[in-house]
Amino acid sequence: MTSVAGQSGAAEVDVSLQADVALRAGALAVDAQLVAARGDVIGLLGPNAAGKTTVLRALAGLNPLARGRIVLDGDVLEDTAAGIRVSPDRRRIGVVFQDYLLFPHLSALDNVAFGLRARGMSRRRSRELSAAWLSRLGLADQMTARPRTLSGGQAQRVALARALVTDPRLLLLDEPLAALDAGARAALRRELRGHLASFAGTCLLVTHDPIEAMTLADRLVILEDGRVTQTGTPDRVRAHPRSRYVAGLVGLNLFRGRAADGVIALSSGHELVAVDDDHCSGEVFAVVHPRSVALYRERPVGSPRNVWPGRADSIEVAGDRVRVEIAGPVPLVAEVTPAAVTALRLDDGGPVWASVKATEVVVYPA
Amino acid sequence: MQPPTPEAIHEPDAAGPAGEVASSGGSPLPELPQREPSARHGRAASVRRRSARRAPVGFVPLAAVGLAFLALPLAGLVVRTPWRQLPTDLAAPGVLTALRLSLVCSLTAVAVSCVIGVPLAWLLARVPFRGRSVARALVILPMVLPPVVGGVALLLAFGRHGLIGQWLDRAFGITLPFSTAGAVMAETFVAMPFLVITVEAGLRSLGQRYEDAAATLGAGRWTTFRRVTLPLIAPALGAGAALCWARALGEFGATITFAGNLPGRTQTMPLAVYVALQNNSGAAMSLSLVMLVVSLAVLVALRGHWFRSR
Repeated sequence: MTSVAGQSGAAEVDVSLQADVALRAGALAVDAQLVAARGDVIGLLGPNAAGKTTVLRALAGLNPLARGRIVLDGDVLEDTAAGIRVSPDRRRIGVVFQDYLLFPHLSALDNVAFGLRARGMSRRRSRELSAAWLSRLGLADQMTARPRTLSGGQAQRVALARALVTDPRLLLLDEPLAALDAGARAALRRELRGHLASFAGTCLLVTHDPIEAMTLADRLVILEDGRVTQTGTPDRVRAHPRSRYVAGLVGLNLFRGRAADGVIALSSGHELVAVDDDHCSGEVFAVVHPRSVALYRERPVGSPRNVWPGRADSIEVAGDRVRVEIAGPVPLVAEVTPAAVTALRLDDGGPVWASVKATEVVVYPA
Repeated sequence: MQPPTPEAIHEPDAAGPAGEVASSGGSPLPELPQREPSARHGRAASVRRRSARRAPVGFVPLAAVGLAFLALPLAGLVVRTPWRQLPTDLAAPGVLTALRLSLVCSLTAVAVSCVIGVPLAWLLARVPFRGRSVARALVILPMVLPPVVGGVALLLAFGRHGLIGQWLDRAFGITLPFSTAGAVMAETFVAMPFLVITVEAGLRSLGQRYEDAAATLGAGRWTTFRRVTLPLIAPALGAGAALCWARALGEFGATITFAGNLPGRTQTMPLAVYVALQNNSGAAMSLSLVMLVVSLAVLVALRGHWFRSR
């Protein structure tokens, strides 16, 4: 929590969104802090049922806060302490819902024009503007189509146009690609990145897909169990995961323990030896890339100081590599070649030894 | 042997483009299990269909008796109607008056029900206020209450000496019982619940998500209701209005109790049928036939909503 507060202070220069939201969603208590600079694309990434959509709905004003404050471009949208609550229709926040929620009784054009009409623009002018947006998104020949006749990708673009045409200060996207099939997703992700880049306002993208988050967002906010566990640029989050969930997403082995003189005492009672140039001490995280884990059938002799016994638990082929989960006192994931799996006969479930060189352990403060 | 082959061919194919997303853990997986349950479902459905063909012993004759019991009176009406006399019966001055009065009263009752019933349905469906279940019980009550009791209750509330009626009479000189307005009130009291219940169900099944989307687009509450909610519940509203109208058209008990049986003012079709039956049964049959035709027309109009063949 303290690190998040520290970052909010650092980003004060050109803050667009500053939100501190606490509310309940069923059994889950959400208590999350978000800060976004103007023009940023923030990726709100987290496992299912972490409260991501609840945060999005709270920002849009659809779910009232139990406690907290939302400030957008200097305007206080909600402040429970001051008793302020701006209704959703006055927030100027655009939302692309997960299943798009295009109005089924209106054509694509009238769906896009809806927001302009609701704000009092004339029918003619609103239709002209909407038509321009639809053409820009490559939907010139779908203007009169009803939403049910559109493909998933077309519906997504109509929903995006509908949100953007009203010129929102903040754009919220809830799993914008989840409703699409895998084949269309990669192409639409590229397309969406282009649209987000040309959008001048701030954008918050909710997703459980790390690829989506890392490719579309400038900054990630990791939400787990209703709380923010990590924030930072995708590169930084990828390199320095601060939770098991993030480590799993980026495929790293994550350890947590107390460091003293290059030796990390893990909570399991084992030790991890690291060559740490920064001389971290106290509570630290340590990551080990699965490629840096070597496997043996006999206890290895020689220089590696981190050697633990275990058993190959699951073996999974990923491209030209094989990921082997080692169950034991220090659970690890190792990445080896298919040849090594055959040579070591890892699939017989017998005992193995895993070792990690001290130079391959990356340490950073918790 | 045949079915596994296309799957085996398809599998590596499906894994290819999805490989990039594999780390998310979700995407490629649902493809495979889906195939299996659907096959299992198909088998279960065919089993059910076969067993459904064999009804428990005795059901078929009992069902036939039930259907005949419902159909025979209608057949009697159609067979015994003096068809040759029908034009003259229907052209009789009293009949046309009753028919016109029935239409005016029942359509006004539907209009009133829409104006006060739709907001009521909206509140019941959308706002979790204290006493909502009591309010819903009050809405349903007229559906189960004997209409005559409804008429008596209306008399006690809006009659000349009733709770509100005496005040209306004294302050404005308005007398509701034994007036056409009273007939409309009696019909509304009995028929509005059908509209409220149907519209509430429509609102519930629609959910609030489209309304949320409209709000994020800058639409206020009234714009949202008018441009999103109302068009989307139009089928439910239409069905509710049709049911409400059919019930209002056939209203007898509450009307005769509260509004009386004054030709031209409160004597609607059902009342005219009742009176005609005592003097000229041929006219009663002709009038009944007209109402049967109207009911059938409502049924046909509603078939898309309730009687979808499954």
